Amino acid sequence: MPQKPPPRKPPPVTTQKSASRLRSIKSPVKVKSSYQLREPGGEESDPWLKGKSLLKPDDQLDLSEKELQEEITRSLVVKNPLIHSDWVEYSYKDRAFISCEPQPNFITVQELESKVIHVESPEAADQLHETPQVAPVAKSEDFKNEIEEEPIKEDEEADEEKDEEDDDKFNEKREADSEMQSNGASEGQKKKLTNQFNFSDRAALTSVYPTREIGTQTIPPPRNTLNEYVTQWIIYDTYQQDYEAQQREKEKERVSKMTSQVKKEEPRKKSSKGGMDPTMVRLLQAAKIIERMVNQNLYDEISQVNFEMKATEGYVCLFTLKNPSFPEYINYCDSGAMCLDIHSSRSNFIVVGRYDGSVAVYNAHLPIKEAQFESNSVTNKHGGIVWQVCWGPDLIDGDLNFFSVSADGKVCSWIVMQNELSQTLVIHLLLNIDPIAGPNGNQMNLVGCGTAISFHPENPEIFLVGTEEGNIYKCSTAYASLYLFTYEAHHMPVYRIEYNKYSPDIFISCGADWRVKIWEDGRDEPLFVFDLGCSVGDVKWAPYSSTVFAAVTEDCRIHVFDLNVNKYRGICVQNVVAKNRFKLSRLAFNWYLPVIIIGDDKGFITTVKLSPNLRVKAKPPKKNIQMDQRILEQLKLEKLLALVREPTASSNVIDAEQSETSK
Amino acid sequence: MGDAGEGKKEDENKKVIHTYPLVVKSDMSDEMKSEAIEMCVTACEKFNANNEAAAKMIKEMMDKKCGPSWQVVVGEGYGFEITFECKTLLYMFFGGNVAIVVWKCS
Repeated sequence: MPQKPPPRKPPPVTTQKSASRLRSIKSPVKVKSSYQLREPGGEESDPWLKGKSLLKPDDQLDLSEKELQEEITRSLVVKNPLIHSDWVEYSYKDRAFISCEPQPNFITVQELESKVIHVESPEAADQLHETPQVAPVAKSEDFKNEIEEEPIKEDEEADEEKDEEDDDKFNEKREADSEMQSNGASEGQKKKLTNQFNFSDRAALTSVYPTREIGTQTIPPPRNTLNEYVTQWIIYDTYQQDYEAQQREKEKERVSKMTSQVKKEEPRKKSSKGGMDPTMVRLLQAAKIIERMVNQNLYDEISQVNFEMKATEGYVCLFTLKNPSFPEYINYCDSGAMCLDIHSSRSNFIVVGRYDGSVAVYNAHLPIKEAQFESNSVTNKHGGIVWQVCWGPDLIDGDLNFFSVSADGKVCSWIVMQNELSQTLVIHLLLNIDPIAGPNGNQMNLVGCGTAISFHPENPEIFLVGTEEGNIYKCSTAYASLYLFTYEAHHMPVYRIEYNKYSPDIFISCGADWRVKIWEDGRDEPLFVFDLGCSVGDVKWAPYSSTVFAAVTEDCRIHVFDLNVNKYRGICVQNVVAKNRFKLSRLAFNWYLPVIIIGDDKGFITTVKLSPNLRVKAKPPKKNIQMDQRILEQLKLEKLLALVREPTASSNVIDAEQSETSK
Repeated sequence: MGDAGEGKKEDENKKVIHTYPLVVKSDMSDEMKSEAIEMCVTACEKFNANNEAAAKMIKEMMDKKCGPSWQVVVGEGYGFEITFECKTLLYMFFGGNVAIVVWKCS
């Protein structure tokens, strides 16, 4: 610290001292005051000082440049003039003045107690002597400061002293230690030389826990081995096998699909047995004549209903040609099922008309053996046997609807609602005769018993209703209780009416009066009349031809007509089952296959295949071969009808002849 | 021998060439299996001339997705006997001429 140039004039003593100590040369020393350095105009040109105004002490002399430049030589001598050289004190003990020791030539400026002591100090030596293990330590800054005042020469002196100490027989060991310490200080091996009054060094040792080893072994994951040998041949063969397996799978799928389709295509026969209450004699009579109902829908399912004489129970059965021994679907109902119709697009919906006047809709997809919808057996039903039911086109909102015709003279429209069937009266079949006097004097309108219904294939509003009185009424669903046309068709109950599949103006009817008649719309005389010599149970147009139809009679015969071949008699008359035991009641063409299904009154169903000459297709004229089959059929029928449109005597004559011969 | 076989095979291959991935044997779960098959297909399509790179790619991807220590063999003809951890084996053919074995064993 004293070496630094002090801010003010350095104390002369110190200067003197340091000069004497450091050099011991009495030579003039140039001292330049720091003030001089900082004088403005001096050589000082530190940039950070620029712009700063210098603070000048008030008592500073104003010196001219010349004076400042002038060198003032000052000689420093070892002798401190301030120290009294002959300082004496009076000693009361000796009663005399004694001279004091001369004051030392230095002044203690600062004294700091250090935590460490110099390795060469006597203190350190003492300490080393007492505690030889504690090694002395290096010099600290503080200590340095303290010894700074000692000149290097003194170090040399100390060395000499040390030598002397060596001579003083210091313990060899200790000496070596101290040697080592001094060496060690330079080597960086520093040992602590503690000031024992001002130093503390503490440490604690925690107990050491012994380490332990714990191990568990889990079950190794299960392993397996595999050995294979693979070559190109093996790869190829495997691919080949796999491919074949796939092909087989596909084949199987295709086959199963096809079979399911085939099954669907197979016509289903539906038979239901019904009976009649023996007390109702008239109905018994009527029920003896078998009503048939055939329907072909888009899936070409043909259904056939047979019913027996007892009305106490009935069954609805769906058969497939694949398995004639047992029905695919069987459903019991507690009243005789008289007729049914399968929906044309949703073939799982079957509507059944019953002997007791109720109607029910069955869903063949449902596993339950109950009707999905059923008319209320008390309020919401027909008053007589339901002779025919017929699905109508779906309503706009997607609800299914169907029509039924009953012996109570009503034609009703039914809509399949969410949970119920809603009934709407379409027409009440009143007879065109005056009301007769009732038993109580009131007037009664006579009502015809509806037995058959057929909808116009192109206009869903128009339909024909056949009655037990033998009349056929042309009606419209738009006008209740108004007949568009009345045909006095038969003398006995009409059993079936059907529109021609190719010409919507032509329809066929049959009845219990042994006759089958073909009509043209709006003409009250039939175009053709055929007498079959027995009550005709059912008649149907063939789906594949406009001129072919088939009829079944009570004497177990089936008559197939092709007007294009023979306008006067059937081209095939066949005994189907044993005479006298059965009465044929129902007939249906298969939509695709040349097969006719015949039902009889004992509940048997017979399938008959048509021979090729019965299903000759219309041949197009040679010039334009591309004509549509349907147009060809229409043309064929049209050509045929042209012959008979003009009322000719021939048909009547033939009819008369036939009836006469059969009589 | 291998050449002859390949030649013969190519003759037959002219009729039908099957290149779809065909799993011969696998006990992986369905999810893992489909993933592994997809990986093998991707790798073999990427390195269709370098079985080693394909195997490396499959192994690294399997390691990343299903934990370490997978082993993969890709080759056209070889025999092997391996020990594998259950539910980690896939032995499949791909491309009509490459057999791939993927298994895990640590």
